[in-house]
Amino acid sequence: MKVRKNDRITILLFLAPAMLLFCLFFIVPIISVCYMSFFKWNGISDAEFIGIKNYLTIFSDNVFMRSIKNNIIWAFSACFIQVPLALLMALVLSTKPRFWKFFRTIYFLPQVISGIAIAMLWSAVYNSEYGLLNGLLKAIGLEELTKNWLGNPSTAFICVLVYGLLYIGYFMVIMMAGITGVDENYYEAARIDGANRLQMDIYITIPLIRYSIATCMTFAAVFGLRTFEQVYLLTNGGPANRTSVVVLYLYSQMSNNNYGGANASSVMLILTGAFVIVFIRRLFAEQKDRGENNGRKKS
Amino acid sequence: MAGKSPKPTKIVSLIGKWALILFFAFYTLFPLLWLLITSLKTNAEYFENPFSLPAVWQFSNYLNAFQQANLGQMIFNSITVAIVSTFANVMIAAMAAYAISRFVFKGKEIIFALISAGIMVPLNAMMVPYFTIFSKLNLLDSLNSLRILYTAIGLPISIFIVRGFLDDFPVEIEEAAYIDGCGFFGRFFKIILPLIKTGLVTAATFQFITCWNEFVYANLLTSSPSTKTIQIGIRFFTNQFTTDFVSMYAAIIIAIVPSIAGYILFQEKVMSGLTSGAVKG
Repeated sequence: MKVRKNDRITILLFLAPAMLLFCLFFIVPIISVCYMSFFKWNGISDAEFIGIKNYLTIFSDNVFMRSIKNNIIWAFSACFIQVPLALLMALVLSTKPRFWKFFRTIYFLPQVISGIAIAMLWSAVYNSEYGLLNGLLKAIGLEELTKNWLGNPSTAFICVLVYGLLYIGYFMVIMMAGITGVDENYYEAARIDGANRLQMDIYITIPLIRYSIATCMTFAAVFGLRTFEQVYLLTNGGPANRTSVVVLYLYSQMSNNNYGGANASSVMLILTGAFVIVFIRRLFAEQKDRGENNGRKKS
Repeated sequence: MAGKSPKPTKIVSLIGKWALILFFAFYTLFPLLWLLITSLKTNAEYFENPFSLPAVWQFSNYLNAFQQANLGQMIFNSITVAIVSTFANVMIAAMAAYAISRFVFKGKEIIFALISAGIMVPLNAMMVPYFTIFSKLNLLDSLNSLRILYTAIGLPISIFIVRGFLDDFPVEIEEAAYIDGCGFFGRFFKIILPLIKTGLVTAATFQFITCWNEFVYANLLTSSPSTKTIQIGIRFFTNQFTTDFVSMYAAIIIAIVPSIAGYILFQEKVMSGLTSGAVKG
């Protein structure tokens, strides 16, 4: 439908509210974060231009370096632990075992529950005195393995990672949608050639849904970089900042009225995120050219 | 095939498959069930044995949670915030998506690409500017700040979802209405909105769940008891030096039941809503 003369104003009218909010809450904040990261500012008095000093400060701050390192580990573990596990479960559930819909519903469930409620539940799971995990270990006679999971530097990090596995259902559903889109004829042909299930998965399904896999990896990385609630509640970055993440660092900078430092860490987070997204897109781009629409049902 | 006993490899893979399926189901469900049962015990019973069933089901824990943390007010706040921002978000998104999907004008794909890129922006990194904006608007510690913010930050995904649905509908229906003398607004409200009902519900479900669950900005932008949402409310029990674990667990159950109920009712919509940004993008 082309624009008719009298429609032009109406189109503007229809776009205006969305554009206004988008500018105010996406474009302006991003610009302001970048710009203000070059200022020393406590949120009240006038900001003072200090060049890249905020960046130098956060880069020489061990807590920040630890936080961004944790974020990157988080993002990688999400990409290379959660996504492959989700792929495995997607392949398993796509064979439509009994009650598969029921299980799909369950795996997706943590996605709809608030992060804060799940984090509180899991801090109860890990609680050293009355926790579920220690209780289970006692019940099966492994009492010597019980420990203060979140207070212990060597286990706290792993605890937060393991907790992340709750969210594989999200990636699983995305990849199952991809698998449904694969043309049945490919499997038919493979079956005639005597391929077994595993071979079909490796040589047909996985290559054909790599675009979905790439999307999942992008989201996994982005979620990994955004991590806040679970760390805030489970460990609050502790013990000794072992589990701190950038958003938590940013939050604590803000609480200390160091808005400049907070902005600089925001910029680092945005840049890391953009870099990761471009990196994953690049990684899969060449295959996408070859693989797109190849072997997909026409929708 | 008939009559042949299954090969050993078949059996192994079958066992492996079910072990995986059951393990993850257990991993997801068991803590939740444990939480539900524990929320109905007394503290003494809980400390004694975290796995026992309650001797008497303590529904009073729920009453306690309500009274101690003033959950009623917070649930009311959460509901009004979620309803207002879901409605505003979906209306604004539908209008924008309609303009983008139906008309040819300069720069529209750039606008759409820009908005879609908003899905990937790490919003948690925007604490300083959002805080500054609302303090300038004099809306700090007011539920209106959350209503506006949630409406805005949900726009990229909602526009994305609704446009997908709009693109699937043939323009001819509208052309016919246009010839019949139906104006722009008439076409939008009488023809388009009813046609893309599924898309609107999908976007609304996503938006509602996000608003209900949002924590970071509710925590940042509100402070007084009268403006707290339920997600902040349940933290009451971790802030205080309380040992009333069972009431805390009851409060958590209260906070998650609406999401779970909504999920069970609109399962397919929720799944497609939450993943549509990824599936189509």
